[in-house]
Amino acid sequence: MTTEFGIVYAGHIITSHFGSVVSKVCDCLLRRGPLSSREISRLAESDINHNKVKDILSLLIQHNCVQAFSVEPPDGSESKATVQYIALFNSILHRERYSKFSKVVKEELGPECVDVLDGLLSNGRLTLEQMIDRDRDRDSKGSEVIKDSLEKLVAARFVERVPSPEPVLGNKEEGPAKKRGGKASKIFKEPETLEERVLEAATPVDAIRFPFIFEQDSSSTLADEDSNISEGKRKQPEVDSSGPSNEVIWRPNFEELIRRLRHKACVEIVKERRDEGCANVLKAMLEVGRSQEKKAKPDKSVPVSMGSIYEELIKTEAGREMTQERVEACLEQLSATSSYLPAFVIESDDSYIVDFKSIISVAQKDEMESVVMRRYGKEAFRMFRYLSQEDRFVETDKIADAALTEKKDTPQILLKMWKDGYLHMQKLAVTGVYMPFLLWKVNKLIVSRQMLDEMYHASLNLSLRLTHEKGSEKELLLLPMEKLEGALKERRNKYRAKSVLLASTKFKLDDAIMLFHDF
Amino acid sequence: MSKRKRPEPKSSSSGINEDEKNILGLIRSKQGKGATTSEMRSATSIQQSLITKAITSLKKSKLIKEVPNMNNKGIKHFLAVEFEPCKELTGGDWYIDGALDVSKIEGLKEICVKILERCERAKKVVTLDVVYKYFDKDGGDGDQLSREQIREILKNLVLDNVVMEVKSNGLSGFSATRIGEICYKLTGKKGCGGGGGEARDGAFALVPCGVCPHIGICTPDGLISPMTCVYFQKWLDF
Ligand code: SF4
Repeated sequence: MTTEFGIVYAGHIITSHFGSVVSKVCDCLLRRGPLSSREISRLAESDINHNKVKDILSLLIQHNCVQAFSVEPPDGSESKATVQYIALFNSILHRERYSKFSKVVKEELGPECVDVLDGLLSNGRLTLEQMIDRDRDRDSKGSEVIKDSLEKLVAARFVERVPSPEPVLGNKEEGPAKKRGGKASKIFKEPETLEERVLEAATPVDAIRFPFIFEQDSSSTLADEDSNISEGKRKQPEVDSSGPSNEVIWRPNFEELIRRLRHKACVEIVKERRDEGCANVLKAMLEVGRSQEKKAKPDKSVPVSMGSIYEELIKTEAGREMTQERVEACLEQLSATSSYLPAFVIESDDSYIVDFKSIISVAQKDEMESVVMRRYGKEAFRMFRYLSQEDRFVETDKIADAALTEKKDTPQILLKMWKDGYLHMQKLAVTGVYMPFLLWKVNKLIVSRQMLDEMYHASLNLSLRLTHEKGSEKELLLLPMEKLEGALKERRNKYRAKSVLLASTKFKLDDAIMLFHDF
Repeated sequence: MSKRKRPEPKSSSSGINEDEKNILGLIRSKQGKGATTSEMRSATSIQQSLITKAITSLKKSKLIKEVPNMNNKGIKHFLAVEFEPCKELTGGDWYIDGALDVSKIEGLKEICVKILERCERAKKVVTLDVVYKYFDKDGGDGDQLSREQIREILKNLVLDNVVMEVKSNGLSGFSATRIGEICYKLTGKKGCGGGGGEARDGAFALVPCGVCPHIGICTPDGLISPMTCVYFQKWLDF
């Protein structure tokens, strides 16, 4: 879900990381969708000639912000497929979350792996050789350590082989004429957006994406295996082997990194709304089911048995303190519903399923409601909650009655929320009644979109303000801290406090953005 | 509810004309709900101008009164003087003299929260009955509350996110209740979203932009911008 401010924010990220010329090309792609390099040089400003556009595209591909692809020409057509480029909005936004990704890896695999991941995050894509070179220029841990770390990262799926540089999309799938419904479509759900289709076509099968590389050193053996393994996949991906040394090229796997953040967020949500015990049980369930998650963000986990939950739990110190009886009590609590909390876990036969969607929806709801509360007040908060609960159009006076708010004030409050896009309104003209009835509804999808757009906007604002603060204290920041005294020292401290507040707020706001966009 | 104070006044309607008689009859038949002019028109097929005239004269002779409709502002209802306006017109139990009795509602909400706190301390499950009995016992101020009113208060607390509804499953904690009966518990989120809550405040609501009335017109280089805005200025005032 990209929104207007999402695009502006993505453009801002690119500008601050790569400069305004690169940002112009990226903006062109974000706003207009896939384009060929010729089209980009025509549409972007005149000072960016075709060659420059190509260089910029290579840079953006290197940093995983753009993916090339082409569409198979129609049957019998002589024309050659032109290469098009698509901006990867999500990957651009991930650039602001690198510290979160590093933290995940640090907790799970330790500091050596973090160094390798950080190298990939800041360079976009690297071969093992390049990683070793990079290490040599720094605090040199040695090639064995680097190789070992990379192996661990690939095994944990935090790092993957780069996708096919230019997958070809089947032409037939283009048309919207596909019949919906039917058995087949229920089983094979079509990817929805072009971006998803391109990414799917570019991604190699798992055995190539996360190979056990280190058994055989020669990349040529790998290349042979590629074609065998990828047979049967819709589009055969060509793994990029165009690097100078013909070595395998690696990049961070955002899908897995986001999955871990999603799981962590779910555990946190449960911890806050239930308790530590429930959170531990949920964590164990996620751990058991993780390797079987087929999609990037499934609505539900696979069923896990009580036995496997317990087995996983006792691997941790906190888990070992729990008796089986206590685990059962936690599962009962997790499956309970009330007007306050939905069920987080679904019991089916003798197994349990984590309902990701329901856990995440609780946090989304809290985000929405707290904005409504602070922006429009307590009465509006009640009305909003009432309408969310009803999930249908309700007439003004009925809302006032249900929320026990003054009838005179109710329309104004509702109108205010409607103007800001937080409510849906319908007029109902009734014969004989002078004024049309107004009906109101909370459309969760529209509110989420509206909030997301505003959150991108706020993130952009925080970022701009941070840059502004830094710019206005440029000279002061050049002076060494220990030399500062009196008023200057105070000013420096103030600057520090401001930038810490801005940065930490932005960090937390990004968690909320992920809640609505990535989880 | 509407109450008939005087049954059928004697023909004080002497001296009124035929149209007025018809209209008065209609209004009386509608009791506490009264009739609107458009209803009079369609029921009696008397011309609008004559209806207006008749109403003025009936009002003057103190046979009818005008009551605004709380639910539909701008629409006037005419009631025979002997009737009290019904709930639909006044807005319901919580309205006095056309205004919502907010202090009464808030007071009752506070009492309900106290009852819930007391019961939770005593590990007692709270149903509507339990709260009703408390009020029955304590509410000696002559202000009898109906079960429906108490239910409305509890529902309101649910909307405030202070109280939650839980359906009894008949097990452990709910043994004193029927399965499926609605029970009430405190969410632990006091003061509806502010302070001491169990659930966190949203991250977005804590950014000035999250509650900013100008977010729609704020742009990086506009008149209202993050570089110059007063909200950031205040927030970053260390
Ligand atoms: S930067 Fe200032 S004016 Fe702009 S949305 Fe945020 S708080 Fe409002």
